[in-house]
Amino acid sequence: MSLIHIKDLTKHFKILNRREGLSGAFRDLFSGNYRTVEAVAGVSFDIEAGEIVGYIGPNGAGKSTTIKMMTGILKPTGGMLQVNGLMPYDNRIRQAQIMGVVFGQRTQLWWDLPVIESFKILKEIYKVDQKMFDRHMDMFNELVGLKALYSQQVRTLSLGQRMLCDISASFLHNPQVVFLDEPTIGLDISIKAKIRSVIKELNREHNTTIILTTHDLGDVEALCQRIIIIDKGKILYDGDIKRVNALFGAYRTLKLQIDDFTAATLQTLTGKLTEKFGAEHGISIAETEELWTDVTIDQARTPLSDVLNFVMSNFGVDDVRIVEISMENVVRKVYDGALK
Amino acid sequence: MHSLKDYLRLYFIIETQYIKARMQYRADFIISSIGMFFSSLATLGIFWVILGSIPDLAGWSFMQLVFIYGFYMIAISPMQILFDHIWQIRFHVQQGTFLKYYFRPLNMMFYYMSEMFDIKGLTQLAAGIVILIYASIRLDLDWTLPRVALLLLTLFSASLVQISITVLAGCAAFWVLDAYPVLGLAWKLREFAPYPMNIFDGAFRFTFTFIIPLGFVAFYPSQLFLQPEDVSSLVYFSPLVGVGLFALTYWVWTKGVNSYTGTGS
Amino acid sequence: MKSYLAVLRGSFMVGLVYRFGFLFSIAGNIIYMSITYFLWRSIYQNRETLRGLTFDQTYIYVALGSAVFILLKTYVDWQMSYEIREGTVATYLTKPIDLQFYELFMSLGFFLMSLGAITIPTILLLVFVFRIEIPLGLGLAIFPFSLILAYLLSFCFDYFIGLLCFYTESVWGLSITKEILVTVLSGALIPLPFFPDVIHKILLWLPFQAIYYTPLTMVAQPNLGWGTFLPMLAVQLFWVIALFTLTRLFYNQAIKVLRISGG
Repeated sequence: MSLIHIKDLTKHFKILNRREGLSGAFRDLFSGNYRTVEAVAGVSFDIEAGEIVGYIGPNGAGKSTTIKMMTGILKPTGGMLQVNGLMPYDNRIRQAQIMGVVFGQRTQLWWDLPVIESFKILKEIYKVDQKMFDRHMDMFNELVGLKALYSQQVRTLSLGQRMLCDISASFLHNPQVVFLDEPTIGLDISIKAKIRSVIKELNREHNTTIILTTHDLGDVEALCQRIIIIDKGKILYDGDIKRVNALFGAYRTLKLQIDDFTAATLQTLTGKLTEKFGAEHGISIAETEELWTDVTIDQARTPLSDVLNFVMSNFGVDDVRIVEISMENVVRKVYDGALK
Repeated sequence: MHSLKDYLRLYFIIETQYIKARMQYRADFIISSIGMFFSSLATLGIFWVILGSIPDLAGWSFMQLVFIYGFYMIAISPMQILFDHIWQIRFHVQQGTFLKYYFRPLNMMFYYMSEMFDIKGLTQLAAGIVILIYASIRLDLDWTLPRVALLLLTLFSASLVQISITVLAGCAAFWVLDAYPVLGLAWKLREFAPYPMNIFDGAFRFTFTFIIPLGFVAFYPSQLFLQPEDVSSLVYFSPLVGVGLFALTYWVWTKGVNSYTGTGS
Repeated sequence: MKSYLAVLRGSFMVGLVYRFGFLFSIAGNIIYMSITYFLWRSIYQNRETLRGLTFDQTYIYVALGSAVFILLKTYVDWQMSYEIREGTVATYLTKPIDLQFYELFMSLGFFLMSLGAITIPTILLLVFVFRIEIPLGLGLAIFPFSLILAYLLSFCFDYFIGLLCFYTESVWGLSITKEILVTVLSGALIPLPFFPDVIHKILLWLPFQAIYYTPLTMVAQPNLGWGTFLPMLAVQLFWVIALFTLTRLFYNQAIKVLRISGG
């Protein structure tokens, strides 16, 4: 039996179609005009103990609805959902004992209290015995340098420090599964790296299952062996990270600001690039925002530097930026059959 | 998972720390306590002014009103001290921070309310006790042990009524975006709990007895002590009213918590 | 002047968003007025007059009092404490804008909003549902002027509390203390003649009575005439000028705290 077992899971929401104006607001009070939205439309997967799984997808894809069902906040509309053999919604308190949750930038520690007091309260809530508490606190201290923060009020911590404290706290009671929602959002590169290594260590220590939702493909790359991509309530891909990695790892987007940009410029650019690199060049071009042209390049086929040199010598370019492929683009590529 | 003893212990640990942290803002505590003290006494001041012009208000003497008022101040204190976090619920619900209360192996109402402990409410409680004792001495009330027990029982029930009315109003936040006025109205109505209910007639007395049972916060239970030989049978229901109303409130709270889906993605 | 009007318009628009809140406030006012009706009816019982006031006079006084209560709440103290905590007050210092006038115009938006959404509907309810006959005459004619002066006074008190927030974080305690003192001592809940004589006389010398007692008395007792009303208006005007000046002087003191601590 796997730790998390999900089969044909669905969740429907009834959404009120709000009417306009004051009288509309009044009528809404008495007679609702609802439509049903399928946030999760038949999802199945199994997660084994000790796995780190990246659960990704664009906004509104249904990933946080799935997480909320797994953590016992929402009741599934249909299908099967078991964590450690139990349905989370019906056994919230019991399930909370074996779970840890970190939700983005919202801390679950006690805002006005010193860090150490939050941990002491958690020790009482989860009935962690003194021996395990001491051992874990030592471990957190080694990994995060927690001791230096003990006497600081949570409200005075930096965002990165707070995240490290929140992640540590979610492991205090030795849970079987930890949900991490956007653990690196809004943090700078060095803290991101730190957080990733801490998560990896904590996973190794007790073989804790970790489910990670993120918009940062760097998180996924650094932590997960397996990735589940969800969009429009359905699973698009569930499997090894390596195939997906090859996909987004190879792509880079060259953002160009071209002199005297006209509608014809795009065509000229496409034409010239095909002329130079052949028909199978793996380059796609789109105008994104005012004056910016996106040239997405598959580096497996055409080196980025060649394209850049060619464009620079043939067009008047004002400004250049190189960006990694975005989550939305990965999902679009998967849609287009890139993993088939 | 947790016994009642565990919860009490946990509450004690959390609140000791909370009070310690709040004590850094000592000036705030002193000023707020003074404010609390004045606002508690405002209605009493009104009684005093009015009863300077007339001998009694609907059959109640000034000192009897003082007794009811003392009872009222004690009865509203548990709400103020233990359930003050209800005022923040609309922010938590709107901003999605309410989610975190689902993640601990604790009763959610307990966990939510434990995050705040209103120290200044203790001032109100102390003032209420002093006023009640003063009035019962002036009224020459006879306190036997069973009557003290009855007083404690009715105070417990009355405070449950006050807690229920306020928490119910706060629960509106689970369904209505701008629920603050509901809570604001409940707060304003509270001021009328110490008034003798027999000044109202018809619909209003019915409302304050059966619909928004403010009468059970102070006036009805006080009659057991002020005129024990002449109380309506309704008064004997006051302990039941408190427990029943709180059970209803807990049910609505659970409904709200279960219907909440969180905001954002 | 133009920039202050823009401030006014902005705060008016913000107020519009809270329609549900206004409906509830009106409902609250109805309940409140009914309760005060029962209370005063049982106070009067069979008595013709109390302290020289008839039941009708007293009830018009207290009911109108509750109708203008929300109107005279400026919330400037809460607003300023928020601005001080968030540090936005410091940015006003760099702009050619006067804090006192900025806050006044900011609150005027809400004043107009509650005038239209709460006070006027409440007064209409009083007249058409509760069948209260507001005596037409001189008193009612000068009531609006008196009310504006009362608003300015109320603003001064709130602004003063707001300035105190430069020194302490405790806006709740300060604000509630002020509110209680103002509502009780101004005669918002009970007409001043009901107070014991000595206290009544003292209260007439304090600025509080110019907020509620003065405008409400004009409507409730229009028969008093110019001879009484003119001095009353003069006293109101005196307090407005005095408190505006005093709070301006106090501002210069309070702002030093910000300049020293850096906000």
